[in-house]
Amino acid sequence: MKKYRLLLTVMMFLGVQVVQAQITLNLALNNRPQPWLSDWANPVNGQMIITYMLSPALNDPFVKLKTTLLDERGSIVGISNINSARIYTLRAGVNQFSIADALQLQNLVLQGNVQDLIQRTGRLTAGQYQLTVEVMNSQGDVVRARQNRTFFITSYQLPILMQPASGSTLDAHLAQNIIIFRWTNIIPSPLELPQYRVQVFEILPGQTPMQAFRSNRPLLDEPATKGTTQFIWRPNLPMLDSTANKQFIWTVQTLDAKEFPIPGMDMNTQGRSEPAIFSIMNQAGIKGKKMENVDLIK
Amino acid sequence: MALRNIKFHQNSIEINVFYFRRGIVFWMNHLSKIALFTPLFLTFESTAQKNKKPFTIGGDMGIWYEGYGLDKAPSPAIPDFYRARRPYNLLRYSFNPTIAVGKWNIPLNFNFSPTQTNFTTPSFGGKQSVWQFLTNPMNSFGIRPKIGTTEIPLGTQFLKYSDLSTGDLGIFGYGVNLAPGKFRIKLFKGVSQRPVNYLAPTIIPLSDGVIGSYQRNQWMGQLGLEKEGKYFTGFNFVKSIDKRNSVSSAPLSPLDPQENMVVSFLTKVTTDKGWNYDVELGQNFYTRNLNTPLSSSPVEDFKPFMNSHISTNKDNAVMLGIAKKGKDWEAGAKFNYYGAGYYTAGYPFMNNDRLEYLANTRFNAWKKKMNIVASIGQRFGNLSRISGPSPTKQIIANVNVFTQFNERLSMNMSFNNFGFNSPNLSGYRSVSDEISINPVYNWSNSTMSHLISATYTWSKYDETILNVLTNNNTQTALILYVPTFFNKKICPDFSLMWFKNSAPLVNLTLLSTTSGMTWEPAPKIKLKGQLQYNLSSVAPFTSNKNLLATSGFDWNISKKLTWQFSMTANLYRFGTELPGSSLTPAYLGSPGYSESTLRTGFQYKF
Repeated sequence: MKKYRLLLTVMMFLGVQVVQAQITLNLALNNRPQPWLSDWANPVNGQMIITYMLSPALNDPFVKLKTTLLDERGSIVGISNINSARIYTLRAGVNQFSIADALQLQNLVLQGNVQDLIQRTGRLTAGQYQLTVEVMNSQGDVVRARQNRTFFITSYQLPILMQPASGSTLDAHLAQNIIIFRWTNIIPSPLELPQYRVQVFEILPGQTPMQAFRSNRPLLDEPATKGTTQFIWRPNLPMLDSTANKQFIWTVQTLDAKEFPIPGMDMNTQGRSEPAIFSIMNQAGIKGKKMENVDLIK
Repeated sequence: MALRNIKFHQNSIEINVFYFRRGIVFWMNHLSKIALFTPLFLTFESTAQKNKKPFTIGGDMGIWYEGYGLDKAPSPAIPDFYRARRPYNLLRYSFNPTIAVGKWNIPLNFNFSPTQTNFTTPSFGGKQSVWQFLTNPMNSFGIRPKIGTTEIPLGTQFLKYSDLSTGDLGIFGYGVNLAPGKFRIKLFKGVSQRPVNYLAPTIIPLSDGVIGSYQRNQWMGQLGLEKEGKYFTGFNFVKSIDKRNSVSSAPLSPLDPQENMVVSFLTKVTTDKGWNYDVELGQNFYTRNLNTPLSSSPVEDFKPFMNSHISTNKDNAVMLGIAKKGKDWEAGAKFNYYGAGYYTAGYPFMNNDRLEYLANTRFNAWKKKMNIVASIGQRFGNLSRISGPSPTKQIIANVNVFTQFNERLSMNMSFNNFGFNSPNLSGYRSVSDEISINPVYNWSNSTMSHLISATYTWSKYDETILNVLTNNNTQTALILYVPTFFNKKICPDFSLMWFKNSAPLVNLTLLSTTSGMTWEPAPKIKLKGQLQYNLSSVAPFTSNKNLLATSGFDWNISKKLTWQFSMTANLYRFGTELPGSSLTPAYLGSPGYSESTLRTGFQYKF
C-alpha cells in the first residue's frame, strides 16, 4: 500500500512539473567522449534532447544555451559567452541536438592554461570534468532548464618502438632465425587490454623505406599476446642470400578491445606507431671488422 | 585438396612427392617468364653497343621478379595457422638512367609495378586508373632535368626539406629549384596521397571493404641562402589539403578530410674548425576535419594560407644540434621538442608531445686499436598531460666497444639499456638490458685462411603492467666458421646457433645449424647455396622443425648486364604446439606448410 502511495505522489509531482515547466533538458553525454572536442558532433559522444511543450499560458520557443565546463575540483575551466550564443527556435515536442551544440566550443571562453592547450591540441588534459548546460531565454537572463553531466577525458599515446632500434643492424645468421621486437605500452593503459599487431615490411630494390611501408604487403602481420609488448618472430627467410633485401621497416598497430585502431593525429595512419628501420648484415662476408669512422652526427 | 592426406614423419621433415610435383610446376611457370626476359635484355644490350649516341648516358635499368608459392597441410583449416606472406607474383621495373645532352643533365627515376600490394594505404580490388597508378606510393616516375643552377623536378619526387617540414613521402607533381648565387628557391606542387573510394565490407562475397582515402595535395616551398659546405639558412613552407571531391564514395569518419600548414625556419652551419650547428623551429596549423564549421576560435585564421575551423589547432616544435668532429673523435648533442599538437603531413607518423635530448660520442683509444661509440639520452612524453597527470620518462643508453687486439684477434662488445616509465598513468614500467660479446679470431697459412666468430648475447626485459612484474630473459649464442681457400673457387661457411627465451608461460628454445657455400666455376658466375635446419620448441610441447634451402647464382653476363637468380624452399612442420586435432576439420598428422620463393633480376648498366 505504501508503494502505491509513493508512486502516486511521484506521479503527481511530475504532473505539476509538466504543467509548470515548458522545457525539459536531457543531456545524454557519453561518460568517455572522444578526446578531441571538435569531434563531439559525432553521435558516439551522445546527444542533447530539449523537449518543448506548448502551454496555454506562455509560449516562448526562443532559447539560448549557456555552457559551463568544470574540472574535477569544481573550478570553472570554460564558460560560454551568453551574449554571442546562438538563438534556437524550438519546435513543439522533441528537439535533438548534438553534444557539440551543447558544448559550443567556438563560443566557449576558456581559462588560461586550458585555452592554450585547446589551441595547441584541441584536447583537454586527462581527467574528470563536469558539463553543465542551461537553457536560457533569448535574453539570457532566465534559466528555463538545467542539467549537469560528469565525463572522463583520456587521449592515448601510441607505443614507441624500442627494439630493433631505428637504424640498427642485425646479424643475418641470427636474424634469419629469430628477431625480437619490443615497444612501449600504450599510454595510459586502457581498461581493456589492447591488441598490438606487429607488422614488418621488406624494402624492395629501388624503394625508399617509407615507400615500402606505404605500398608493400607485410612479411609479418601478427598479433602479439594480448597486453604484452614483445614479439618473437621466427622469420625463416634466406637473409644470407645476395638477392635478399637487407633492409626492413617495422611498426606496431594498436587496436582497442573492439579491434578498432587507436586514434592518432592523422587517422590515415590507422593506429600505427612511427615506424623504425633495421638492416641485416652478413657477418661471414665481412671477415673481421675494421675501424669504422662512422658519422654519428648528421 | 590432396594436401590433407600428407603426413609428416615424426622425426624428420619429409620433402614428399607432392611438394616436388608442385615445385616443378611452380619453377617451370616462372622459368618461362625468365626465358622471355633474357632475350629482351640481350637485344637491348647489343643495340646499345652498336648505336653510339652523341649524348652520354649513365645509370642503370632492370627488371625484378618474385614468385611465391604456399602449400599447407591441412588446407583449408580453421584457424588459418599460416597465411601467405608475399604476393604470388610481383614484377617490378626500374629505369634509372642519367642522360647528359649539351648543358642539360637529366636523371630519371622510374620504379614501378603493375601489381597493387598496398597494405598501410588503401588498396582496391579493381583496376587502377592511370591517375591512381601514377600516384600509388608503390610507383615512382621521376625526372629531374637540370641546366646550370636550374632544376625542374617532375613526376614522383622524394623531397626532403627538413626534419620538421617534409621529407618522408614521395609526391607526384611538378616544381622548380633555383640556385642563383647564394639564393635557394624551391617550389613544388603534387599529390602525396592518392584518392581511393570507400567500399563497405560485405559478407557475400566475403570482403573487408576498403577504408578509402582522399587525394592529398601538397604545396611546398623553400626560400634560403646557402654556401655549400658552410651554411644554409631559410624558411620552409608546406601546405597539404585533402580534396573532398576527389572520391565519389567518401571515407567514413574518423577518416575526415584534413588541412595542414607548416612553416619552419632552418639554419645549418659548419665551421672550419669542425663545429656543426643546426637549428630548426617549426609551427604548424592543422585542421583535423574540414567538415567542421569555420571558426576563428580556438585558433585564429592563418591568412592567406588557411581558414580556421573548430577542429584547427596550432603548435610548435624545436630541434637543436651541436657537434664537433676531430681527427679521431666526434661528439655531439641533440635536443628535440615536439608539441602535443605538432603535426606535419610530410611526416604523418611522427610521434609528438615529447621532449628529448641525446649526447653521443665516438673516439679511438689504446693506440687506435679501440673504437668506442656511445650515446645516452632521455625522452619525456605526455608533456601536455593529455594522457594522464604525469609525464612519461624514457632512458636510452648504448655503448659499443670494438678492439683489434692484433692481426688475428678482435672483439666487439656492446651494452644497450632502455627504460620506460609512466608513473601514475597505468603503473607501466619496462626495463631492458642487453649485453653482447663477439670475439673474432682468424689465422691463415699458405693455402687457406680461417675465421671463427662467436657471439653471445644476454638480454633481460622486465615489464610491470598494472603492478604485475614480468621477467623475460633471453640468451643467444652463435658460432660461425668461415674457411677461405686461396687456390680454390669455393668458399663455404658453417654456423650453429642456440636461442632461449624464458618468460612466464613461455619457454622458447631454438637450435639452428646453417651451412652455406659460394662457388665461382667461371670468372663471371658465382653459384651459391645455403641449407638451414632448425628445431624450435615452446615447453612443454615437442619441437617444430624447419628446413630452409636456398640456391641460385649471380652471373655477370657481360660488363653491363648482370643476372641474379635465387630459389628458396621453406618447409615447416609444427610439433605438439599446434596439434592437428585442434584444427577444424580435425587433422590426423602434424600440420605444416611449404613455401617456395623465386627471385630473379636483370640489371643493365648504361
